[in-house]
Amino acid sequence: MNKFIHDIKKYHNYTIYSAKSELKAEVANSYLNWVWWVLEPLCFMGVYTLIFGYFFKASEPYFTVYIFIGITVWDFFNKMVKSSVKLVKSNKPIVSKVYVPKYILIIEKMMVNGFKMSIGFAITAFLMLINRVPVSWNILWLIPILLCLILVTFGICSIVLHFGVYIEDLANVLNIVLRLMFYLTGVFYNLEKRAGEIGVYLNQYNPLAFLINAARDALIYCKMPNLLWVSLWLIIGMILSAVGIRLIQKNENSYVKVI
Amino acid sequence: MIMEIAIEVKNLNISYKELKAYSIKKMLFSHGKSKAEPFHALKDVSFSISKGEIWGIIGKNGSGKSTLLNAIAGIFAPDSGTIDLHGNSVSLLSIGVGFQKNLTGRENIILGGLLLGFTQKYIEEKMQEIIDFSELGHFIDKPVRTYSSGMYSKLAFSITATLETDIILIDEVLSVGDEHFKKKSSARMKNLISNDDRTVLMVSHSLSTLKKLCDQIMWVDGGKIKMIGQPEIILDLYEKYMQ
Repeated sequence: MNKFIHDIKKYHNYTIYSAKSELKAEVANSYLNWVWWVLEPLCFMGVYTLIFGYFFKASEPYFTVYIFIGITVWDFFNKMVKSSVKLVKSNKPIVSKVYVPKYILIIEKMMVNGFKMSIGFAITAFLMLINRVPVSWNILWLIPILLCLILVTFGICSIVLHFGVYIEDLANVLNIVLRLMFYLTGVFYNLEKRAGEIGVYLNQYNPLAFLINAARDALIYCKMPNLLWVSLWLIIGMILSAVGIRLIQKNENSYVKVI
Repeated sequence: MIMEIAIEVKNLNISYKELKAYSIKKMLFSHGKSKAEPFHALKDVSFSISKGEIWGIIGKNGSGKSTLLNAIAGIFAPDSGTIDLHGNSVSLLSIGVGFQKNLTGRENIILGGLLLGFTQKYIEEKMQEIIDFSELGHFIDKPVRTYSSGMYSKLAFSITATLETDIILIDEVLSVGDEHFKKKSSARMKNLISNDDRTVLMVSHSLSTLKKLCDQIMWVDGGKIKMIGQPEIILDLYEKYMQ
């Protein structure tokens, strides 16, 4: 654990510079550049609003905001896990030439995707404004909720990064698992309404479903999230991260021999 | 005068067993037939290099030379044994140093430098020198993926040659780029190497270069040290052995 903190300090300049450059490169290399960061989530929101609001007659109040929070949080998690599987391999030119603690690579990606998530929340705020969503102090609960999301994501990603090095087709398996999880998260529908009792369980035991709903409660419905479950997921997130960090520290110098 | 030790390697063992990547598909359909064969890349290697010395490593392909350099650079973990660099900074210079392809040359210089342990301020001070030496001109602000392989290695060389670490590990890199750059880089290399404070460990197949530059030669064969000694003696023996 000490080594982890030491590494974070030692490499924080690298991490920040690298994340910035990656975002800059993304802008420089596409025609509509940063407009995509706004356009992409907005378009997906349009698709889901059309399909679920219109065809499936979802009746959640402030449905566009409801969906947008779901997409923003889910995208962060989804992109992180997907990139973690092949993170060591995709950084092969660097990893095979100089030592870098492998969780630094995850943190760098978290900054990149975290930046995009904050754009998502900025758009959410804008949508809340034009939809006249009533706001209360409960929006501050978003902070512990996001902290929880970051911890859980980091934990899962560091474990996935480790096994992704050794298991070649882990990416395929993960794609399936993530797709299943996506539908069990209720990104664009109310799990409790659609799945009944199972939905109630999912809203607690599926961290993403729980966190997205907690964020919706805080932002749209002026409600306090279930603090017991927030703290439970915080603790689980910490345990997952500790396991992941240990796994990486013990094995990271063997990764290069495999790729 | 007591010589300060810069690199100390003790009973180093590195093997590539159990590390084969496997896939779930293979696990399901091959019934565990594929057993990974252990391959011992280095067996019980011990030596120590004093500060300022230049060592050459020779040996057949696959004898463990590159593995040794990678281990000293901290990229490979030893299975057993220790490597002590006594706090010296180290960089590995080899063909095709790693860049992030979507980023510009300039950004890669900073990232590479930060990974080698330099501060951003220091790297920015040295930036112009690196760019000038690399002769990349305006390409330095273009993404690295647009570079030719020659430009790629020129930039890689310029970074490591300008941001000087205490220990430099060289893996077959004495000739980069075109004729003109080759001359320039080998002059720079000699300059770097001849600095009394710098410890150098180089792998090369060019025996004449080694004879000119090195203080000591280590002959590695089948993962073990076969001999260590004066360049003239070892290189002669090696030449006869290879014929």
